[in-house]
Amino acid sequence: MRFTQFTPYDLVLLAQGLGVTVGLFLLTSLIGLLAGTVLGVVRYYRVPGLTQAVTFVTELLKNSPVLVQLFLVFFGFPAFFHLNVGPVQAAVITLSANTAAFVYVIAVSAIESIGRDQVEAARVFGLSRWQVLRHVIAPQAAAFSIGPLTALLVNQLQVTSLISVIGVMDLAKIGATLNLRTLKPFIVWSVVGLLYYLAAKLVAGVGARIEHRLRAHSAFRGL
Amino acid sequence: MLNVENVRKTFGAVTVLDGVNLTVKPGEVVSVLGSSGSGKSTLIRCINGLERLDGGRITVDGFDVSRPKELAEARKRSGTVFQLFNLYPHMTALRNITLAPIEVLKRPKAEAEAEGRALLASVGLEDRADAYPAQLSGGQRQRVGICRALAMKPSYLLLDEVTSALDPEMTAEVLNILAKLAGNGTTMVFVTHEIEFARQISDRIVFLEKGVLLVDLPTRDFFAQDGGLAQPRVAQFLSKMRKD
Ligand SMILES: Nc1ncnc2c1ncn2[C@@H]1O[C@H](COP(=O)(O)OP(=O)(O)OP(=O)(O)O)[C@@H](O)[C@H]1O
Ligand SMILES: [Mg+2]
Repeated sequence: MRFTQFTPYDLVLLAQGLGVTVGLFLLTSLIGLLAGTVLGVVRYYRVPGLTQAVTFVTELLKNSPVLVQLFLVFFGFPAFFHLNVGPVQAAVITLSANTAAFVYVIAVSAIESIGRDQVEAARVFGLSRWQVLRHVIAPQAAAFSIGPLTALLVNQLQVTSLISVIGVMDLAKIGATLNLRTLKPFIVWSVVGLLYYLAAKLVAGVGARIEHRLRAHSAFRGL
Repeated sequence: MLNVENVRKTFGAVTVLDGVNLTVKPGEVVSVLGSSGSGKSTLIRCINGLERLDGGRITVDGFDVSRPKELAEARKRSGTVFQLFNLYPHMTALRNITLAPIEVLKRPKAEAEAEGRALLASVGLEDRADAYPAQLSGGQRQRVGICRALAMKPSYLLLDEVTSALDPEMTAEVLNILAKLAGNGTTMVFVTHEIEFARQISDRIVFLEKGVLLVDLPTRDFFAQDGGLAQPRVAQFLSKMRKD
């Protein structure tokens, strides 16, 4: 006989799935933000060769489906490099790299949005390239990019659901499991969808708060 | 001493500075005149190291701006005031002024701020220290720009058409400050279209024409019939400027 009733334990399962999703999201966002920013700085220093290489790789990451990238890492790496890549590792690698590629694009346009004239002024007064980055470019670039970064992360949170297909027990995978057992897809997917929605709202809310705080310091925009 | 020796600068096929020689001694005020496109801004940008020279040499108190190791020292000795102010929009007036003294000269913050406030007071902006550039008028912004340059205690002040983005009233505000500085013995290279003002404050006037320094004379001689005015191009330029 099939057991199709919901049990209190299902809530525990959902909480665990949500934990995996949020945990992976936070970890890969952190890595992606750091890596993307570092790559943007590499470009700022115009390291010969490196910039082209970074642009090439980020173009590949931006213009191919995350699912394909995930399969490449999960199935392709073990076959080609004889590396043992587990589902969680594959998820971390793929999502981090993908987020980094988009953060890189945002970082580059944020840096380029800063007027050349201010940068020249700072250089003329003797500030090093690093000091210019730190004191003149970074604060303005941060204010410029917080909006696009928030939108990116909200999207990346949804993208994490793809990792369920390689067996990571995230929220989507738990949803699929409960659905199979209970045969109540409408209820299961509504609840799962709501949880994603709430998590996304949380991310957007945090982004808005940071933006608000940066704005408070940007009376300079004459807003 | 500020020495510009036989400097050449090209942009692609266009020669913008063609063998320019200029010497500025401490305490001198030298005005640079010339029509639009004659290379005045480019000359300033070569002196402060924003453009690479294609020939010749520029030294500031002996430090060669073309040598990366000496450029930093050369830049510490010259301060630039820009036509469009080029202030840092995310920093208050005071922070605009103290950034370089703190970061480059490693001055203690409290000291740099006290000096910054004194500079602001000297240009009548003592109560605007905490304002952002967007909250200041053009004339006030340029006065902050002047304070920012002076805060580095430069031996040479480079000014590139610092009033041309300002209306007449604001221009007067800024020129008054420059006249005071000139009176104090501040060394200046002053690119301008304000002919009468240049005549009042300058020790020497040089005239650029298509990248060539045509005339370099003491102010009185520059405006004399048998001096600068003997050059047809200078006479033409001055009569045109007076008409405008
Ligand atoms: N970055 C550049 N690339 C190409 N050409 C340039 C560049 N900067 C200046 N030029 C050219 O060099 C010439 C001199 O320009 P410059 O700005 O020095 O003139 P100017 O005397 O300051 O003129 P104005 O009085 O209009 O400010 C002009 O013909 C200008 O078009
Ligand atoms: Mg100019």
